Amino acid sequence: MKPLDEATLIPSHMPTTNRPSNMGASVNDNASRLDAVPKVTGSAKYGKDYHLPNSLYIVFIRCPWGAADFVSADEAAAKATPGVVEMQVRGKSCTYHGQSIGYIAADSPRAAKRALRALAPKWKRTPVKTQISDTVKDNPDIGDDGQNNMNGAEVTHEAVYTTPVQTHSSLETHGGAVDHRGDRATVYASTQGTSSSRDGLGGPLGLGQGDFELVCEYVGGGFGSKLGGPGKELTTAAQLAAKYKRPAYMFCNRSEEHLDTGNRPSSRTLARIGFKKDGSPVGGEIRTWGGTGVAGGGGGASIPSGRYKLGEIKKLHDDVSFNGGGPRAFRAPGHPQAAFAEELMLDEVAAKLGMDPLALRMKLAGGEHRKMFEAGAKLIGWSNRKPNGSQNSALRTGYGAGAAGWGSAGPGGAAEVVIARDGSVESRTGTQDIGTGQRTGMGIVTADALGIPLKYVSVKIGRSTLPPGPGSGGSVTTPTTAPTMTAVAKAAKTQLLELLATQANAKPDEFSIKDGVVLRNGEKYLTWEEACGKLPNDGITANKGKGERGDGHSNGVQFVKLDVDTETGVIHLRHVVAIQSCGRVICRKTAESQIIGGVIQGLSFALFENKLLDRNTGAMVNDNFESYKILGPGDMPHIEPVLWSKGQSGFKALGEPPTIPTAGATACALFNAIGRPVRDLPLTPDKVLAALAAGQGGAA
Amino acid sequence: MACEDGRAMEVRLTLNGKPVRVEVDPRERLLDTLRYRLGLTGSKEGCGEGECGACTVLMDGVPANSCLVLTAQCRGRSVRTIESVDAKALGPMLASGATQCGACTPGVVMTALWVKENPGLRDSHTLRELMAGNLCRCTGYDGIIDGLHAWVESDARSGGAA
Ligand code: FES
Ligand code: FES
Repeated sequence: MKPLDEATLIPSHMPTTNRPSNMGASVNDNASRLDAVPKVTGSAKYGKDYHLPNSLYIVFIRCPWGAADFVSADEAAAKATPGVVEMQVRGKSCTYHGQSIGYIAADSPRAAKRALRALAPKWKRTPVKTQISDTVKDNPDIGDDGQNNMNGAEVTHEAVYTTPVQTHSSLETHGGAVDHRGDRATVYASTQGTSSSRDGLGGPLGLGQGDFELVCEYVGGGFGSKLGGPGKELTTAAQLAAKYKRPAYMFCNRSEEHLDTGNRPSSRTLARIGFKKDGSPVGGEIRTWGGTGVAGGGGGASIPSGRYKLGEIKKLHDDVSFNGGGPRAFRAPGHPQAAFAEELMLDEVAAKLGMDPLALRMKLAGGEHRKMFEAGAKLIGWSNRKPNGSQNSALRTGYGAGAAGWGSAGPGGAAEVVIARDGSVESRTGTQDIGTGQRTGMGIVTADALGIPLKYVSVKIGRSTLPPGPGSGGSVTTPTTAPTMTAVAKAAKTQLLELLATQANAKPDEFSIKDGVVLRNGEKYLTWEEACGKLPNDGITANKGKGERGDGHSNGVQFVKLDVDTETGVIHLRHVVAIQSCGRVICRKTAESQIIGGVIQGLSFALFENKLLDRNTGAMVNDNFESYKILGPGDMPHIEPVLWSKGQSGFKALGEPPTIPTAGATACALFNAIGRPVRDLPLTPDKVLAALAAGQGGAA
Repeated sequence: MACEDGRAMEVRLTLNGKPVRVEVDPRERLLDTLRYRLGLTGSKEGCGEGECGACTVLMDGVPANSCLVLTAQCRGRSVRTIESVDAKALGPMLASGATQCGACTPGVVMTALWVKENPGLRDSHTLRELMAGNLCRCTGYDGIIDGLHAWVESDARSGGAA
């Protein structure tokens, strides 16, 4: 084996400080998360941590097969289990593994589990479908006019690309704890929507909205799966808490989380596309199928993405059902699947054209993407790329690239900023922080708008009694709340300066604040704390202000470099460059972390993740973290996030775009290394070896 | 605290430096004793099957998945949880973006503590290998490894282990 080259030698501990390649400055380059201490020391309380005295513990009774009719259960034995308080079994036919047919509520988690074992439901299995290919077996044209937009093409390409079901795998599972005290309640939820969950709970709790508070100060991840109301776990807990006027607790375990809390639907993409010899697009047709499990729809794949000119494309999408849990929004829904097909398709076309795939992309992509491709090619060392399939060594290196794009949201939501006489500032918004850095971002924009150091600001979020903000979906949280919070903080500042002006018998515009010092006509006038000391007893409260919307989209490109061991088929990820714009960067560290996090979810999707249903029984065979593998520390390449804020204004989306191009770029890099495409994710060693074996007769 | 079916046993152990006596179900996991009986919810449950490391504690100084340890097995042993960790000592781990949602973080910190307190480990293993038992869905690990590196280096610079 040849020795590993320099990228392997880049220390895994390359500091994130002063990354040389960030293009532009952030509002705050050095702030750490405002909630780092509670998180790192374990004192942060998540919904799952609220074990309240005298609580009921709830478990769901679930179907163990992909399709089965409920036959019977030993309800008497279950009810007789010590500690059982209530049981409900609604015997019925089930259509996916993990479907709930009722619940058991008991005085302790152990009692509930023991009763579930005693219940021992009996089932009669029925036939199952477990994947798209059980229904879609051939590659039909779109329409019957024989017209596929490829007239005049000099090079054509037809292929089918597939991706498996991916689960969100948030570390904190779904559920909640409810403290019902008769006429009042507190709900501790794990949710991406403080307001929408609150809205759905009044009924189950039997209380008016003013009589309970929903708290989600810390949420252990969600990635889309915790959107859309309280969910059945929390709703059941709320109902039972209301019925028994005592606390109730329901959280899924890891298996239930894989089975029944949503997923990224699988996809099948049939592409037929034509080009001129010089790489100009002619057109074609693209058919996609989305694997939505038992849900009626929601498996759409966003191809063509619009990021590349592909000529006139005829497009048709169908959702396909099978016996699996339904999908939910998952970080850039429909996009990573589509980008996998689109990027690998482009590399295959480039190979047929005898073109460098980056050169083809430069021909097809828009202006900002082209600039990003140029910058990224230098960072990854694209000039070292060897032609597809030209390597004969056991260890082969490949390079791949892909692009991302995301629209932006306008300002919205409500916020409040309070300045106290001691100089302390509190920013308030009900919006939750699912790990994105919402708390930190709100603090930074408040401090920036007021012109004071961050240390004066504390942030209150994640409570339904605070001014309502948006749900964490569509990467809109920061683009919605940051401009609003900025405007409200500026309104607070205006009030403060007007007050100082009145007291000094001067005009407000003589005053300004910079770095925690109040200036009058540019000269130091008072420290921040002295100025706040002049406020009335109850300080200043501002809650009105309309934020400004910025321009542009959140574009990005990624490059992946990897090695393939051709003897074992194992892929070693080496280096990823992720260039991403997101408007004005609020906090460099959380932004970089968000990009890296998007990249690893994409890499994990590319190499490992696959919700596998047994083809005979429909049961998920890897409902855990051992055989449902997610990327771990040892699998990480060196990831270089590059914040591209040149020429951008306003606060833009960042959560979703960095996970879009990764799997596609990884598949392209594999194609480059071994000369054969692997068109089905995940890119596991068996598929790599099969592709190598198929290619023995010569490179494609 | 009695158990629903009447079974109970007494276990004496050292927890975060203090002797404690707990009455538990003989089949009870250490993670449940910590979280459910003692209210020490810093240790998280990510999988309950020894795969994610969110529940990591140090048993006699060595990382253990508390979801795979019976409390009964802790008799006479010393268990250290995240609640014993002083934020001030963690400087670089706080500053580096080592946490996003934070659900994996207490487990990460306990493994990191073991790495820091046993410098010899780093002679034969990379930090990534040493951290391989801790899964994180959010951060991408870069911040974690950076922070840990800075943390162990700061020790090397000041010439002594904590
Ligand atoms: S909860 Fe113990 S290893 Fe995951
Ligand atoms: S920070 Fe969310 S799982 Fe690690």
